[in-house]
Amino acid sequence: MIDALQYEFMRNALMAGLLASVICGIIGTFVVVNRLVFLAGGVAHAAYGGIGIAFFFGIPYILGTIGFSVLAAMAMTAVVLKAKSRADTFIGVIWAFGMALGIILMDMTPGYNVDLMSYLFGSILAVPGSDLVWMAVLTVVSLFFTAYFYRDLLAISYDDEFARLRGVPVNLLYFLFISLIAVAIVLIIRVVGLILVIALLTIPPYIAEKYSRSLIMMMVLSIILSLLFNFLGLWLAYAYDLTSGATIIMVAVAGFLISTGANYLSLNRKSFKFQ
Amino acid sequence: MQPHPIIQVSGLSFSYNGNAVLKNVSFTVHDHEFLALIGPNGGGKTTLLKLLLGLLKPDSGDIRIFNEPPSRSAHRIGYVPQDVAINKSFPISVIDVVLMGRLRSHQGARILKQDRKAAQKALEQVEMIDYQDRRIDDLSGGQKERVFIARALATDPDLLLLDEPIANLDNASRGDLYALLKEINKTKTILVVSHDMMVLSTYVTAVACVNKDVHYHDKAEITEGMMEMGYPCPVELIAHGIPHRILKTHED
Repeated sequence: MIDALQYEFMRNALMAGLLASVICGIIGTFVVVNRLVFLAGGVAHAAYGGIGIAFFFGIPYILGTIGFSVLAAMAMTAVVLKAKSRADTFIGVIWAFGMALGIILMDMTPGYNVDLMSYLFGSILAVPGSDLVWMAVLTVVSLFFTAYFYRDLLAISYDDEFARLRGVPVNLLYFLFISLIAVAIVLIIRVVGLILVIALLTIPPYIAEKYSRSLIMMMVLSIILSLLFNFLGLWLAYAYDLTSGATIIMVAVAGFLISTGANYLSLNRKSFKFQ
Repeated sequence: MQPHPIIQVSGLSFSYNGNAVLKNVSFTVHDHEFLALIGPNGGGKTTLLKLLLGLLKPDSGDIRIFNEPPSRSAHRIGYVPQDVAINKSFPISVIDVVLMGRLRSHQGARILKQDRKAAQKALEQVEMIDYQDRRIDDLSGGQKERVFIARALATDPDLLLLDEPIANLDNASRGDLYALLKEINKTKTILVVSHDMMVLSTYVTAVACVNKDVHYHDKAEITEGMMEMGYPCPVELIAHGIPHRILKTHED
């Protein structure tokens, strides 16, 4: 691994892994405790429509994708707030619409054919320095937003009705926060791909939840786990010449299985003791 | 001291998807009352609480709490929701749950030292201070209920609304909880929803039967026995000093 660090692409990949871990650790924690995994998945897929729009109309990639994703996320949030029981269907529709729109616009864009695989699995080994700057900015924004609104976000996540009664601007914060999720997803997709985003948003926080007494602790644990998965995955991908994104996911899933298995065993022992 | 009205409801109606939940409801609650709302499932008890809190808007009629509409008085109400087992496995400590009661009690979104003190005081009041750093999931039903009461108390309310606080408790815990509420009632007006249809008349000062409409019975009526009244509620009433009886259904 050490000799790999002499390559710039490897250093960039590690940096991208680090930044993605911090962002996903913070945002993923809220996604998991608020049961927003499906919404996050919907935004991530709908983002493809934004990529199509950006290429077809020749506007900058970041602008087109972020714009479209945030709009899609707003629509989903409005439904979640208005009619929670129907939200999953609606999210599914936007999910499919975004992807279909992206593909059709790509078809209609002359001479250009974006590789769907690189969108799905990203190319962490080919991250340009400019993307790292964007991610660093987003990391700082996420940290400040979460630090300032920590108590509000905690209350909304745990008991939004009570938060509302206390005068917390629940809807506004919900929209702001989901926009942040959308922006994060778009930036990270470019680096690590759609599939890895969902894995990083869900697996580390899910494991961390069981061992945490607070959301902060859950975030910190998620970040640590995420880093572990990223670096171990990158090392394995480098050592055995495998696709980096998929390898990182495999490591994360292995972690997920080990944690769930360990939890199952310890639960069994506990109930045995009480018999 | 002349008791003054805290809650004034007049001509209140609310329907959900075209089904009338509450119809032309009027009643008044005075300060230092300990009112039990009883009635069958789906009779509109929780809906009534949510209307009082301003979480739902009435179709018609008027609600005044502390002489103001609910949207402006919500900060003076401490609310203990029905399901304290919400969000199972959510990583949150007891003190952090209670600190929610301090949100927006001053400018800004941060929690200050005075908030922590107020939260700890509330936990002491419900005798849960020793558990402040425990994860809420690790507590029993009765302990959780106390923590949620502490959260409501931390808002420094003048009125406490509790939605079925004893639903998941064993009999011993129920007695403890009512004793705690009785203590709190010395300084605050309390409204408690109970669908167990069991009223411990040593604790409450009035009973209101909610079933689309609201029948209000004050202390005197309870102790004299509701059997003799014009409109007895369909409840199983356990009153202090009165043999256990089941009241007949009221014909509307």
